[in-house]
Amino acid sequence: MPPSNPLPPKENALFKRILRCYEHKQYKNGLKFAKQILSNPKFAEHGETLAMKGLTLNCLGRKDEAYEYVRRGLRNDLKSPVCWHVYGLLQRSDKKYDEAIKCYRNALKWEKENIQILRDLSLLQIQMRDLEGYKDTRYQLFMLRPTQRASWIGFAMSYHLLGDYEMANSILDAFRTNQMKGPYDYEHSELLLYQNMVLAESGQYERALQHLQKFQSQILDKLSIKETSGEYYLKLKRFKEAEAVYEDLLKRNPENVMYYQKLIEAKQLSDPDEKVAFFDVYKKEFPRAIAPRRLQLTEAPAAVFTRLVDEYLRHGLHKGIPPLFVDLRSLYADQSKADTIEKLVLQYVENLSKLGTFSSDPSEPKQPASALLWAYYYAAQHFDYKKDTDRALHYIDAAIEHTPTLIELFIVKGRIYKHAGDPVSAYQWLEEAQAMDTADRYVNSKCARYMLRAEHVKRAEDMCAKFTREGVPATENLNEMQCMWFQTEAAAAYQRLHQWGEALKKAHEVDRHFSEIMEDQFDFHSYCMRKMTLRSYVGLLRLEDVLRSHPFYFRCARVAIQVYLRLYAQPLQDVQQTTEPDTENLAPSELKKLRNKQRKAKRKAEQESALAAQVQVKREQHHKARQQQEQGDPEAPQLDELIPDKLARAEDPLEQAIKFLQPLRTLAADRIDTHLMAFEIYFRKEKPLLMLQSLKRAWRLDNTHHHLHDCLVRFRCWLDDAGDSLNASVAAVIAAETSQMFAGRSAVQMAEEFLAGPARKSQEGALWGARALRRLVPARTQEALRLATDLDSTQPTIQGCVEVLESLKDGDFGPCEKETEEYILACRAKFPYAIAFKPPAPAPADVPAPAQDAALQPKEIANNN
Amino acid sequence: MNIRCARPSDLMNMQHCNLLCLPENYQMKYYFYHGLSWPQLSYVAEDEKGHIVGYVLAKMEEDGEDNRHGHITSLAVKRSHRRLGLAQKLMNQASLAMVECFQAKYVSLHVRKSNRAALNLYTNSLGFKILEIEPKYYADGEDAYSMMRDLSAFAAESKTDSQSDNLEIKSDSAIISQC
Repeated sequence: MPPSNPLPPKENALFKRILRCYEHKQYKNGLKFAKQILSNPKFAEHGETLAMKGLTLNCLGRKDEAYEYVRRGLRNDLKSPVCWHVYGLLQRSDKKYDEAIKCYRNALKWEKENIQILRDLSLLQIQMRDLEGYKDTRYQLFMLRPTQRASWIGFAMSYHLLGDYEMANSILDAFRTNQMKGPYDYEHSELLLYQNMVLAESGQYERALQHLQKFQSQILDKLSIKETSGEYYLKLKRFKEAEAVYEDLLKRNPENVMYYQKLIEAKQLSDPDEKVAFFDVYKKEFPRAIAPRRLQLTEAPAAVFTRLVDEYLRHGLHKGIPPLFVDLRSLYADQSKADTIEKLVLQYVENLSKLGTFSSDPSEPKQPASALLWAYYYAAQHFDYKKDTDRALHYIDAAIEHTPTLIELFIVKGRIYKHAGDPVSAYQWLEEAQAMDTADRYVNSKCARYMLRAEHVKRAEDMCAKFTREGVPATENLNEMQCMWFQTEAAAAYQRLHQWGEALKKAHEVDRHFSEIMEDQFDFHSYCMRKMTLRSYVGLLRLEDVLRSHPFYFRCARVAIQVYLRLYAQPLQDVQQTTEPDTENLAPSELKKLRNKQRKAKRKAEQESALAAQVQVKREQHHKARQQQEQGDPEAPQLDELIPDKLARAEDPLEQAIKFLQPLRTLAADRIDTHLMAFEIYFRKEKPLLMLQSLKRAWRLDNTHHHLHDCLVRFRCWLDDAGDSLNASVAAVIAAETSQMFAGRSAVQMAEEFLAGPARKSQEGALWGARALRRLVPARTQEALRLATDLDSTQPTIQGCVEVLESLKDGDFGPCEKETEEYILACRAKFPYAIAFKPPAPAPADVPAPAQDAALQPKEIANNN
Repeated sequence: MNIRCARPSDLMNMQHCNLLCLPENYQMKYYFYHGLSWPQLSYVAEDEKGHIVGYVLAKMEEDGEDNRHGHITSLAVKRSHRRLGLAQKLMNQASLAMVECFQAKYVSLHVRKSNRAALNLYTNSLGFKILEIEPKYYADGEDAYSMMRDLSAFAAESKTDSQSDNLEIKSDSAIISQC
């Protein structure tokens, strides 16, 4: 189609050169040619040239001018597909995909069959998951270019993603028979497996199996053939065939747990003794494999468990396998198995230390000296697991005395202190371990993490810096490498330190990683069609759809939401505000002096802030330049720098919190905390229907939850207060929807019933219940206090006690200094190692390095490991 | 511990494991690039909770038909899970896939000169040979050994389709790498 506003041949040639320069990234030259056209007054307002000039400027990082020129160009030539396409490209480079899609659509109005625009549009549509739109665009591309491979694949895939498996399969069939003519290479093999995936997802396992068998010889990925055909046989209950497949797979990889499980399914074994016998066979067949021996322990009934675990433990201790405890830990879910292990390990320790053998049997060969060490090491971890700190320390000290150079021992000693509530000693032992092998990043990371648990953020950064790129601050390098464990831990540490801005900065950094990882998929939309790795590509799309369900996101979102809620309740004061000195009682001369001094101070402060602003500007420029340099993509949009103080002074903390909440509501809907956080936000925004929705979702997950109970009580009170001011139909909905949850009870009745129920037996239940009762009936403060601080009839944890203590100190129960003191003493007796309950004093003597900043007492011991 | 081929949904957790264990780190996109170009070649070891405790991230170097070979981009096993033989098992699975799916003749890798444990694993347990020293290969200026392992034994095995015996390299020095 001819341009809507044609140039004469000479200028047209120049215009073509602008396009070529753009494609070859010769932006300066492009601008030169644009100038040649535009300097002619006749074409000074030529739309397409103006638009191209803008697009070129965008590539040089001159974003504002770019928008100006592109828009001016478009205004001058609204019927030009080029102008619309250019505007779309500009928006796309700014990640404004919705806007870009609109531009492309406009461009296509004026030039329906432009392949380039259609392709660009299809990429945006799949990126935005506009699957219907994607299907239409892929159809057009298919009709226009039926000989191209990508046309067929994209066309088929668009149906697959919409769940139209028959259509997808027919297109793939036609493509395969008409287009794919040998040799049967990797791409062909991947295509067949993709087609097979489509068949399987349609639920037609019989057909999928036949397809797989028919093309077996053309498929290179033998593992996939076996794994999927095994699946199909099981689904079709063709157990004999399934058995053969999984036996084959085990030969290939005897450490795959799923293969054993599927084989048990195929053999239809359910009796524990049968399963034990089953694993005996594979222990013999694969003597070097761990999986059959270990899985057997999980299945073994008590009668044979002792013998089997005895064998397993002896083997591990004899060979000195450090992860022995980590490997067996999941067996501890069964109390009797844990008891059996304890008996055995204590017996080994006893005999090894006296006789050098596992048992007292004199015929048993002597063990190497290291067996005792590993037995101590195991025992220490065992008792740490049981929260028996004293015995755990006893055994780890015995181990260290035995072999003072083994790093693992110091790591475990640190962990014991962490679990005992002493994060400072914990990280100091990790420092010790780290110093013994400075080339091991794992120990380094672990040490840094422990430092963060103790709120020593700077120290943790310095520790990490030993492995980050030189010349840049560690935090910057960690951020660049998307090191989310560090950033989530740091966010939580800052939150505990009440450094809200810093906490938010870290949370936003993690959030940005997730956005970036969403962006990452863009290039793969076209890449995977060329490479034919379509199964993995579909896997990528499905991963990206639920990306923010990752635990890292949940953790950073929770910190951000909690911090924003706090900042909503207690906004930061202006720090510059200084108290005016009392001027009334000053002599005039003194007053003059004071004023002079103030003026000077003010001038100095102004100068300083001007300087700071300059530095800031420079830093931003540098930042920008570096970003461009490193990414080599000047089109990438510049993100605002995250400034802690600015974040902490957000004008709309609740709106900010909602931004973090939104992904959780769909992707972490199975976690009750999601809905409780939602309630807390909407409660403050006074949105009754959203409060109701959050409560209902939480209720469905766990209707006895302590925090939910509190929310219900507050909702009840809120409704009582709102009374008739509530819109009648809203009130009707709420009345209907809460009937089950409220069951006709008043807030006080709900609080009383909660405390009379099983909740009272848990520490959180008692605290939340007591707090609600006290709030509703202040006269019953003493009763509430007794309940909240009860350490005998609940099973208290360190974290739980810390929460109670904070609640007491926050005044939730009114003034109660005496009770608080008594509570601290009681907690100290129960958890003697926990620093949260220790009087402010120097660090314990038992630590290797003097605690230089032990004064920084953590506000909260996070033990959600 | 469970050893299986990596899926796209594992890639983020592999990155996490990498950042914990190794000085050489990559952005997510690079993991995606591996997982979407050669989905068969990367393997993970996971514990019972599904946490990744070790991984091998691998690719193909396609310089010419006769020189098709695999390359180990990154291999790590958490220190807390050493001496279970995981690195060796991960490497063998990846190598077999290189041969089956891409007709690799050999597999190559780089290792820090100072990393004795890894060097020992590669030479004694996995049959790698040192090819040359690449000076200042690493960002911090350390030299690398460039190593390779011939995969013709895997090729022969994959033809007869009974790989298991020869895959297990007889060696008791199951020291796990920290490459």
